[in-house]
Amino acid sequence: MTAPATAQRASTTRPRRPRPRVGTFVAILAVLVITVWAGDGIDFDLAPLWTDFGRGWFIIQEFLAPNWDYVGRTIGPFIETLSIAVIATLVGCTIGLAMSLLASRVTTANPILYRASKIFLSVVRSLPDVGYGLLFFAIVGAGSLAGILALIFFNIGIIAKLTSETIDAVDRGPLEAADATGASSLQRARFAVVPMILPNYLSYCLYVFELNIRASVVIGIVGGGGIGSSISVEFARFNYSNVSAIVVLLIVVVFLIDLLSQSVRRRLT
Amino acid sequence: MISFRDVTVTYPGGTVGLDGVTLDITPGEFVVVVGLSGAGKSTLVRSINGLVSVTEGELLVDGVHVDGAKPAQLRRLRSRIGMIFQSFNLVGRITVLQNVLVGRLHATPLLLSLVGYFRPADREKAFQSLERVGIVEKAYVRASQLSGGQQQRVAIARVLAQDPTVILADEPVASLDPPTAHMVMRDLERINDELGITTIVNLHFLDLARRYADRIIGMRDGRVVFDGPPSEANDDVFEQIYGRSLTAEDVLSAEEEAAEAALEAQAEADGEDAASRKATPA
Repeated sequence: MTAPATAQRASTTRPRRPRPRVGTFVAILAVLVITVWAGDGIDFDLAPLWTDFGRGWFIIQEFLAPNWDYVGRTIGPFIETLSIAVIATLVGCTIGLAMSLLASRVTTANPILYRASKIFLSVVRSLPDVGYGLLFFAIVGAGSLAGILALIFFNIGIIAKLTSETIDAVDRGPLEAADATGASSLQRARFAVVPMILPNYLSYCLYVFELNIRASVVIGIVGGGGIGSSISVEFARFNYSNVSAIVVLLIVVVFLIDLLSQSVRRRLT
Repeated sequence: MISFRDVTVTYPGGTVGLDGVTLDITPGEFVVVVGLSGAGKSTLVRSINGLVSVTEGELLVDGVHVDGAKPAQLRRLRSRIGMIFQSFNLVGRITVLQNVLVGRLHATPLLLSLVGYFRPADREKAFQSLERVGIVEKAYVRASQLSGGQQQRVAIARVLAQDPTVILADEPVASLDPPTAHMVMRDLERINDELGITTIVNLHFLDLARRYADRIIGMRDGRVVFDGPPSEANDDVFEQIYGRSLTAEDVLSAEEEAAEAALEAQAEADGEDAASRKATPA
């Protein structure tokens, strides 16, 4: 009886269409102005794309003809890149898990420890992967150690951020139950928190592994060892057909690892 | 012995959970706390193991102060007080046995527990607890694969593994269907009988309260408004506790006998099930 009555009452007064908001136009205009201003500031110009095209043509020709004979000699560096990525993922993700427990209010009751961990992780994240590559190249010299150390820091930042946010959203019921048995907060983390976040955490680890394969190439270019070093060397020798062989192979390897990792991740969650 | 001495609990928002409660619960009693939601029954139960902090007054469990207890003291106190929840609060992704072993964490050295090792005596205790609630055959099944009633029994086993002197149950049957609710209440009653563990249960169904309690405590607006045996808790008393006349929604089942019959049938089926499982070699 009441339903039709309310329906009728609701349909009598259609709301007037709200006026378009001025804020939207202002925002769009602001973005446009900033973009034009930024482009003007660096004398942005698309002209070299066609005026200088011919100059680079012979390089592109070399690129279009990859030197497949060179592929055999890249296997060693490729394995080094994979090894760097695996070691860095294992170490980085382990430290990252410990840090994520410290950086969540759910598992760290002490406000000073929690704040300090959050700030530490912000600092760790402020440097990009290449930044760490250059830093450790300066500290330990060229080679795989620099690459591994760079990736470990890069991984701690990502893993701790993603995992601590997952911990924040965990169901509090089992935690309360563990508290009620007289378990300590570390025991609670081990038996209630970690099992609940494990699928997400492992999925993040695989994601970070994917990132590491790609990042280790760039880090290798700045002195981190592996296939990146080979690219850097061949570039310096102007062997563009060798570079292109590496790039083609790299695309295949990264694609395969992404496929594998994604299929595993789908099964996890 | 649990003693409330003029206990007041005020929540951070200013809501009063308990308002000057004074009462004693003697060892071995089966106490049911009734009242409307918001009357303070959950606060009463949760203050006993310190999940809710006492604002004023004194609260002693076996002579130990719960009010103002240091974290380590509170953990020691909690190890002797088991708790059962409305939503079972098991970790779904680990096995039933591991969930029960959580009840042994307080007695396990930190490093051993972090690598996931439990001493044989603790594992034995966990198995005995599972046997007591009749669900030992599920020991290596993931907790999330069990039904609600089975999960609540695992939660009871987790409590038993603690070797507690007190069991608290905060609305333990509110998410269960009537026959299962009776089964869980019977488990609690049996444990109280056989092991003499003091049991304090929050319920909002009057029929369950009358049937299982040695003593009923009625709460309204954070105060104790009734305290006595079930025989004295007639409908007038309940109307006073609830501040309104009783309705069909205040009892678990209008057809008590139908529920009874279903319960008997299920218990029988369970028994046969268990027997046949035992007969089949693993």
